[in-house]
Amino acid sequence: MQREVGTLPLAPALRARLAAAGFQTAQELLDTGPCGLSKEIGISREEALEALQVVRQECHGDAARTAGGSGATRKCTALELLEEEQTQGFIITFCSALDNILGGGVQLTKITEICGAPGVGKTQLCMQLAVDVQIPECFGGVAGEAVFIDTEGSFMVDRVVDIAAACVQHCHLIAEAQQEEDHRKALETFSLENILSHIYYFRCRDYTELLAQVYLLPEFLSEHSKVRLVVIDGIAFPFRHDFEDLSLRTRLLNGLAQQLIIIANDHKSAVVLTNQMTTRIGQSQSTLVPALGESWGHAATVRLIFHWDNSQRLATLYKSPSQKESTIAYHITSHGFRDVQPPAVTHGAEGTELNPRKRPRTEEEKQ
Amino acid sequence: MAAKKLRRAQLSQEMCERLSRYQITTCQDFLCLSLLELMKVTGQSYYEVQKLLCKVSRACAPKMQTAYEMKLRKSDNPSSAFLSTTLHSLDRVLHGGVPSGSLTEITSPPGCGKTQFCIMMSVLATLPVSMGGLDGAVIYIDTESAFSAERLIEIAAHRFPTYFDSDEKLLCMTRSVHLYRELTCCSVLKRIMSLEEEIISKKVKLIVIDSVASVVRKEFDTKLHGNLAERSNFLTRGASVLKYLAEEFSIPV
Repeated sequence: MQREVGTLPLAPALRARLAAAGFQTAQELLDTGPCGLSKEIGISREEALEALQVVRQECHGDAARTAGGSGATRKCTALELLEEEQTQGFIITFCSALDNILGGGVQLTKITEICGAPGVGKTQLCMQLAVDVQIPECFGGVAGEAVFIDTEGSFMVDRVVDIAAACVQHCHLIAEAQQEEDHRKALETFSLENILSHIYYFRCRDYTELLAQVYLLPEFLSEHSKVRLVVIDGIAFPFRHDFEDLSLRTRLLNGLAQQLIIIANDHKSAVVLTNQMTTRIGQSQSTLVPALGESWGHAATVRLIFHWDNSQRLATLYKSPSQKESTIAYHITSHGFRDVQPPAVTHGAEGTELNPRKRPRTEEEKQ
Repeated sequence: MAAKKLRRAQLSQEMCERLSRYQITTCQDFLCLSLLELMKVTGQSYYEVQKLLCKVSRACAPKMQTAYEMKLRKSDNPSSAFLSTTLHSLDRVLHGGVPSGSLTEITSPPGCGKTQFCIMMSVLATLPVSMGGLDGAVIYIDTESAFSAERLIEIAAHRFPTYFDSDEKLLCMTRSVHLYRELTCCSVLKRIMSLEEEIISKKVKLIVIDSVASVVRKEFDTKLHGNLAERSNFLTRGASVLKYLAEEFSIPV
């Protein structure tokens, strides 16, 4: 109630007039009433009424917050958080080594960033996750839907069909082995058409469309409340060319990061971003580092870096609040993202087959 | 989309005038500002500004489609999804051929046959759909002056002797291959930007650029200081326009 007039979300012209008239706290405004206000600062009665309603709403919001009540608060005890985290689902990636180093899979309510050179498998993992988020709960999934925001145009529907078919087959095998009723019921709805129709795809051509889409996301997510995964494939691409003003870029990226954090928390969904690599030219050698600069590194909670070692693909967990840094190898097969098969297992034939659609890794164009 | 004027985003007339006083005329300018700046500029309260943001965002946000709709659209038109290269093992590895709607890059050391491959793809694109082609024109942007029309006719005549049985047919085919010789980066970029209208007017079904690297390497020496950034600028701008063309018209590039 003692809130200063300058901090209220009113129009700036109105605020200036209130300050000139000598009003200092919100309580004074409420006491004056709309007619008195309109006479003192020279605005119409309707405008005064609107302003007072805004003030009242704000003060009520404040009061509720200090009383520790309603859903607008963001504080709770660590015990409640622990219980929440333990029951929280993870989105599995079908590569058990990767799930292990991530602590179970891609975590909900956190932002995960995947960096890597071109052709190493970032979009493949994103497509795999968009299918995996839809696995029914009885099979260990989160039974959610996915939003896929594509800025590079590398989303191939046929590939998603392949991955989804392999996932459905995998679940069928599990159901046959375990023979439980709810497994069979879940499988009826877990079909190819269903999986594909629950992936919502947006193609953003430049950073303005991306910004616009992220502004509209909260509304979209409240309409489609089952969404548990938001993938932005290629967050670096629209910001890397045509940007003379680097400070504007940093500001936009930070704003974007804030909004994504809010979306991840409010809607309990995982946000996955893919980033490109850029070369940092040091004194004697040049190293590959994630693009978009140092300040962007703070945006993501979990950072995975994909890279090559001769012809083996490796994933390194670079930044995580709860797991330690480690590197594992993975493969991309025609069924999607998989573990490297250990040499002793006889089923290992498919492990060495690379995705036929990937272009051969020859000269990588420096971006 | 980004350069869409605010007038068309269904903002009120006086709001648009007010914003243009601060030089904010397009959606891009509007969305680049932070909330506080927007409040200052529009003179509206916080909640009003959020509503305005939503309105402007809706005007330039992309449309939603589910993956299922995309798949249905693709399966409706299976013949145009790929351009077969007629090399069976290559087609098998590529899952059908050069995909429409995306960029395909061919790299190799000199002399391996990139230009020959491009010339052959040009011939294939002009063939009718029944023979595995796309029945359309080809835009060939040549930066190395390596394109030889005689070789084009030679390949066509020897590969498909039954189809190109008369000179008439050969000439008709050559008429649908449009060659542009560009020798500098600027002109390549200008040419790419102007392609949209040509694609519609000439019913183009394939774009070939031979080659990107030669013109870039000639002009940008990476050892000089600012050149790396400029070079990547040029490349990414060209790439995004080409991607847009490929997707919009569903043609291979």
